[in-house]
Amino acid sequence: MTLTILKIALDVPLDCLFDYLDGGFTVTIGGRVVVPFGRRKLVGIVVDRIDSSEIATDKLKAILHAFTDEPALDHESFALLRFCADYYQYPYGQALLAALPTRLRQIEPVVLRKQFAYSLTPSGLLAGLEAIPARQAVKRRLFSALLENIDVDEAALAALSSTWRKAIQAMQEAGWINAKQVLAPPRIQAQVPSVKPDLNPDQAQALHAILAQVDVFKPWLLHGITGSGKTEVYMRLILSALTNNESQVLVLVPEINLTPQLIARFRSRLPDFQLALLHSNLGHSERLLNWRLAQSGQARIVIGTRLAVFTPLPKLRLIIVDEEHDSSYKQQDGMRYHARDIALMRAKRRNIPIVLGSATPALETWNNATTHKYGLLTLNNRAVAKAMLPNIRCINTALGQTYEGLSSTLLEALRDRLARGEQSLLFINRRGYAPVLLCSACHWMAPCPRCSSRLVVHLRQRQLRCHHCGHEEKIPQQCPSCGNADLHPTGHGTQRLEQTLAALLPQARILRVDRDSTRRKHALSDMLTDIYAGKVDILIGTQMLAKGHDFPNLTLVGVIDTDSALFSPDFRTSEHLFAQLMQVAGRAGRADKAGEVLIQTAHPDHALFNALRTQDYVAYSDELLHERKICQFPPFAYLALLRAEANDFNQVQRFLQQAADSARLITQNVMVYDPTRPHMQRLKNMERGQLLMQANSRQSLQILLRNLVPELRGCNSAAKVRWSVDVDPLEF
Amino acid sequence: MSGQGLATNLLVLQGEVEQIAALRYTPAGIPLLSFSVRHTSEQIEANMQRKVECDVSVIAMSDLALRSQDIKPGVNIRVTGFLARRSLKSTQLVLHINALEII
Repeated sequence: MTLTILKIALDVPLDCLFDYLDGGFTVTIGGRVVVPFGRRKLVGIVVDRIDSSEIATDKLKAILHAFTDEPALDHESFALLRFCADYYQYPYGQALLAALPTRLRQIEPVVLRKQFAYSLTPSGLLAGLEAIPARQAVKRRLFSALLENIDVDEAALAALSSTWRKAIQAMQEAGWINAKQVLAPPRIQAQVPSVKPDLNPDQAQALHAILAQVDVFKPWLLHGITGSGKTEVYMRLILSALTNNESQVLVLVPEINLTPQLIARFRSRLPDFQLALLHSNLGHSERLLNWRLAQSGQARIVIGTRLAVFTPLPKLRLIIVDEEHDSSYKQQDGMRYHARDIALMRAKRRNIPIVLGSATPALETWNNATTHKYGLLTLNNRAVAKAMLPNIRCINTALGQTYEGLSSTLLEALRDRLARGEQSLLFINRRGYAPVLLCSACHWMAPCPRCSSRLVVHLRQRQLRCHHCGHEEKIPQQCPSCGNADLHPTGHGTQRLEQTLAALLPQARILRVDRDSTRRKHALSDMLTDIYAGKVDILIGTQMLAKGHDFPNLTLVGVIDTDSALFSPDFRTSEHLFAQLMQVAGRAGRADKAGEVLIQTAHPDHALFNALRTQDYVAYSDELLHERKICQFPPFAYLALLRAEANDFNQVQRFLQQAADSARLITQNVMVYDPTRPHMQRLKNMERGQLLMQANSRQSLQILLRNLVPELRGCNSAAKVRWSVDVDPLEF
Repeated sequence: MSGQGLATNLLVLQGEVEQIAALRYTPAGIPLLSFSVRHTSEQIEANMQRKVECDVSVIAMSDLALRSQDIKPGVNIRVTGFLARRSLKSTQLVLHINALEII
């Protein structure tokens, strides 16, 4: 008898599969199993079945359990994750298991709450409504509903009566009704289907272009200015794709809790299709349920954040990546993948179209569009006919006086909006009261004891907090260096601006929206409700408010201080700042009222602001691309970053130097820089270092990494540091 | 804060309260009151009599700040304290007081 040996992927940091005996279980490839691993028990996925192992059979252990009643992971997921593991230099087993919802990574059997759908039996139909006495109103109501529909689900019954369970049970016992177990989340009450807006010529042209090639791999860049109606184009594309019953659509969004509006629009415009959300804020059970709905093909539309890109979708016909430039698509730990890039790879493998939408596409994407690798579709007009692009002006803070960070021009504009009953948004990308606590007597600044950063003053809580590591301490009574007690919070954060405005404009209703004020669950959605209801005059917000929101009564956007970003050493900063300011500016004047954007800066003649004033993304991007080409930065070069950290920097230095030496021996085609320290030299008590590798082709970089990473895994100095490889890094 | 810890720095000054700023608090919550004192007197210098006039910035902290916040401009007071630079980059001096007595 030949034994069956299973190749199993486990979530352990070793780049190999593990051999186990099947232990008499009927195991399918793609199924989940529990295996003994050292002293632990681990969940694994069966990747392959083989006849013989390199390990002697009597040394092999058997699996402990197989979850045979679960749907197996499909071949496509294996192939996709294999590709990702190879490309991002991450152990395959870890990549596979990380793509599963948390529940499926636990060894406990998965229990999903059972849901049923109900239908009348022939005997129920025969008995008829007349068989139920008139005073049993609930039963009659439920029975009527069942007469009209089959497979009525629990949510629909619950909508009819809160005591439905008892009534249904009684009728079930009478043999009138049968129940069928279903995999269905409580259906969200279908909202009143909203009216289908007419498309403007730009939108119509974009739609037709994409619909003309739906059965082949074709990446499209939908470049539409803010408020130009990209979402409506998505809706039409989805509707068109879903007319085929054997189809699913994947929609990726940057941060789901920041875009409740988008979800609501999808629900109201496409009420007939089962929609599943996937993001990290879902409870474990809900996420698993939605994942299963997607995997089974039942969910027709899957909307999710970057993690959703790995969801098994057997009938996938279209992928949409909204705000494709957003940096939240990049995973910053574990396997450092870029969800947009994986989505592109996925579309290519399935031979389906993919639409990348943005008002300010990433330069990588823009370069691909202008060199005709992607189809370029442009929406140049705001979708609401009367809506105009906002008027953008800079206020030179180097000339005029500011009071507590506010120029008189901006203050006047705020007063003006207040008098007209319109809303204003002040954008300041710094939460807390002040970014620095300064001793004026000796110039000591409160440092984080664990990072190379300054502590931020949170005045109301009388605390200093590190925004990098979460360290908190009480504000000191006196300067630890010289003893002076009169310490000064220096610079401006959201809390300080809130306090200043409350004093200057006591009649205004001011709302601060930042990570601190929205910590409570549902806090943000409650705030957004208040904003829509017109209960807020002035919004003070960080980047949380910059994305996607559509406040019709908002006509003024003030940008407080972004100058520090103008002089950052990171070559991507201008690109990101431009995108961010375009997004923020786009919040103003989206409906029929004209919008105004005032930017406070000491450098109003900076090229970035010139481009912003004319809202000319194309010209500015071409300029930035030109710069990148001269400097040989991405997208004209391919980068990989080896990061390492340890308590002792010498260990880091030794490891990185060894890595650099090895890399230089492996290839001459890749430029290997010397080890350097990142901007944050110390983080959470760890000394950090990094090694940058730059190549002219993706392939030569991949060849280097394929040889270098296994070598690093085996080397002695690697054991003393924590290290990771970041392919196509976004941050340095 | 050691070594020269005991070096002398003591100023006793009498004068009229001038401008008083609103009571404020340090970030750690210590009350702080700043005001200025106009001093006028006649003094002997090189055996010759002369007039002296000066305005001195004064800071009181903690309990003393709370107790002093009701003083009115024009009140004649005597304050005792030490001198310190207003800030690292300033050459102005400020009198930090430990005692205030209304005369």
